Amino acid sequence: MLRTFTLTAALALVAVAAPAQTITLYTAGPGGLADALAEGFRAQTGTTVNVFQGTTGQVMARLEAEAANPQADVVISASWGSARDLHARGLLMEYLSPNAAMVPDFLKHPFYVAQGISALAMVWNTNSGTPRPAEWADLAGPAFRDLVTMPDPAQSGAAFDLVAGLEAAMGEGAWALLADLAANGMIVPGPNAAALNPVLQGAKAAVFGAVDYISYGQAAKGETIEVIVPASGTVIAPRPMMILASTANPDAAKAFVDYVLSDEGQRLVAETWMMPARADVPGLRPGIAETRVIEVDEDAVAARRDEIIARFNKVVLGR
Amino acid sequence: MPRAAALMTFAAATALIVLIALPVAFILAQAIFPGFARGSLADPFARLDLLTGNSRLLIQTQNTLMLAGAAMLGSLIFGLPIGVLRGLFRIPGARLWDVVFLIPFLIPPFIAAIAWTMTLQPRGYLFQLAGFDMGRQLFTFAGVAFVMTLNLFPLVYFAVSRSLEGVGSRFAAAARVSGAGPIRAFLLITLPLSIPGIAASLLIVFAMSIEEFGTPAALAARTGFDVLVTGIYTRLSDFPIDLSGAAMGSVILMAMALLAFAVQNWVATRRSYVAQSGKPASLQKARLGVWTVPALMLFALVAAIGVVIPLAAIVATSFMGTISGGLAWDNFDARHYAPIFRAGGRAAQALATSGWLALATALATAAIAAAVAVIVVRGQGRGRQAMDALSVLPNAIPAIVLAVGVILAWNSPFLPVTLYGTTAILLVAYTAILLPYPIRYAVARLRQIGTSLDDAARVAGAAPPRVLAHVLLPLMAPSLIAAMMLVFAIASRELVASIMLAPAGVRTVGTFVFSQFEQGSVQTGMAMSTIAIAVTSTILLAVNLWLARQGGSAMSG
Repeated sequence: MLRTFTLTAALALVAVAAPAQTITLYTAGPGGLADALAEGFRAQTGTTVNVFQGTTGQVMARLEAEAANPQADVVISASWGSARDLHARGLLMEYLSPNAAMVPDFLKHPFYVAQGISALAMVWNTNSGTPRPAEWADLAGPAFRDLVTMPDPAQSGAAFDLVAGLEAAMGEGAWALLADLAANGMIVPGPNAAALNPVLQGAKAAVFGAVDYISYGQAAKGETIEVIVPASGTVIAPRPMMILASTANPDAAKAFVDYVLSDEGQRLVAETWMMPARADVPGLRPGIAETRVIEVDEDAVAARRDEIIARFNKVVLGR
Repeated sequence: MPRAAALMTFAAATALIVLIALPVAFILAQAIFPGFARGSLADPFARLDLLTGNSRLLIQTQNTLMLAGAAMLGSLIFGLPIGVLRGLFRIPGARLWDVVFLIPFLIPPFIAAIAWTMTLQPRGYLFQLAGFDMGRQLFTFAGVAFVMTLNLFPLVYFAVSRSLEGVGSRFAAAARVSGAGPIRAFLLITLPLSIPGIAASLLIVFAMSIEEFGTPAALAARTGFDVLVTGIYTRLSDFPIDLSGAAMGSVILMAMALLAFAVQNWVATRRSYVAQSGKPASLQKARLGVWTVPALMLFALVAAIGVVIPLAAIVATSFMGTISGGLAWDNFDARHYAPIFRAGGRAAQALATSGWLALATALATAAIAAAVAVIVVRGQGRGRQAMDALSVLPNAIPAIVLAVGVILAWNSPFLPVTLYGTTAILLVAYTAILLPYPIRYAVARLRQIGTSLDDAARVAGAAPPRVLAHVLLPLMAPSLIAAMMLVFAIASRELVASIMLAPAGVRTVGTFVFSQFEQGSVQTGMAMSTIAIAVTSTILLAVNLWLARQGGSAMSG
């Protein structure tokens, strides 16, 4: 009796206390950005954003496990391919934000749009006693013997894109380069952070293919590292933002996407050292215009994913 | 009154079914039906090719078993000697040592692995201090096994010391009177009587080392040393997500754990290990005399390797302005603590959430474990073995897969109400993941306690509930309390299940630290770890000292 009463009272309380609107955001890092966007959005609209933050893999695994009863309204991933896949399975809602007008065409789609963009780069420890590398191939030279790390393409979507991009730009030359790097003692310790940490401490001298914005941020905080984008070009990794078709709050979800693409939202994105998705919002670092971007045929590459990873494992990891 | 016993059995069975059998059943269903998460039963056994057509599976299985064997051996080397000393002799500062050896559980395995990497790799802390590095040794099979051992050896220490306290010195004294030397008495009497405890702790070490992900992920990837659990995680974090393949891989791990459980069970039950018959025994432990100093030096050595070095690396990293600046006084900087005390109270929220979750988990697991142990060891029902076996499974299932099972079971659209989406779902998952510790410890302990005390109490007119409360529970208390401390320590920093299950907006210590690492602020992650370790170990020390002051005979140990 008492228990029933308490339960009813508690439910009533929850009903009263619940804000008018709440949406749930599943997002890949950086976590500080998601929190800042959530706070800014609430200040503007009164809608609370509950944030779940993990790696792209964790976000996707959670979406997959919740498929029977989805919990998220908006998803931001670090892998463009994941958005294409969710769309192909009919899980996304069509929405093109009016604020996306200034986002370049190749970074938007009727069902998803870039939040921000990172590029793949070399990260070099300036105290390592090695010559400053200028090109990807420099890291295969004797000066970098046993001193190079690379994120695992199987665990980092961006590193996969780099392998695919180099193949698109150089053909078989890309595989020869990777084989040279492997012969030069390059290690592949895991996802992005695992590849970067040995370079920060100086155990290794350079990362081949690091996600750049994290390192820009660390260099700004005084780490002795430099982010180098080869003149021959690199690939970019736009971070898709999408609304799930199953959302119970489409209006609030659309308003959130609008906010992220607003001046204020894009400024918050820029503060993380990513390139903002909108071409008219300045970034803290070189933007797309200053980068030679290797174009990758996403469809063709996605279809060959297993083949590329298997070849990478064979050429670089020897298995 | 049989009604009370039936009620207890029913409650314990329900708890095990809801907490463990339910998610396991959903994992099995997911392993068989690839579309299960989306509500489809099409293509059963489509992922079976994973078992038949996978050449690396055999290597991964061999590596997994080798690593588990090495971790068991290592845990014995590190944990057995100090456990024996702690159980049989008066060690100065015994309670303090207990808390010290709980610290490895307070350090998330992936952080311990990072701490060791930053210490031993070229230009790491060892090199900065001593001019040489041990990177070559760390990134090998032995290195991985070494770091994993340091996460696990306290399991053996606690199990052995508590179990030997239960055995006491009475039988050894009888052997001495009969003419046996002290070493002979120990080897032939005391050690064999503590076999259930040792076997139980080794089972947990085995199950944990085949499931543990942080260490192999951080170290083994660089050695090309591939284990089953890394494959399972890849399937769950690598796009496209393969729930079914991960579930199938987990089935192999579950089978391994059940096999190990059967061996352990055979060892522990093929003869009687009853050491407490109810005769009054002196609880005074033997004095070490001149051996006190060497014994303390051994404790200090194990603590230095297992606790001080990783802890020092974590604390040092948290106070470094930049990682590339290295260990230099002008690089000393506390600024990475600032985001923890600012940041809109997020860190405080994470600490509070993890704190109450850990406390609730410790209480819940101990209550269930006490009931299960009494039923398994004292009961007569036919389901006892199943109950016992069921309680081992969570240790063998990678936490991320168990979390998927929990989501599948608790997020079903057919449930009218559910805990999923609330913080309470973390309590459900933590309880399931950590139940094996108190159950293994309590079952092992109860096997050492003869039934004569129960019988005496019954003859004296006590009803079964009274026997449980006044005889069995106090006798199990030392093991249960040791297990509760373990549970509290591990739950306070649990990461993998928390990431998958925490409702959006809720943070725990583990997820907070992890997101700091992901963002590239290694120091802030280490700072949060430092604070969490300091807070948790203070709590555990306070509890330990309070117990010491209670000093009751039942709470000895």
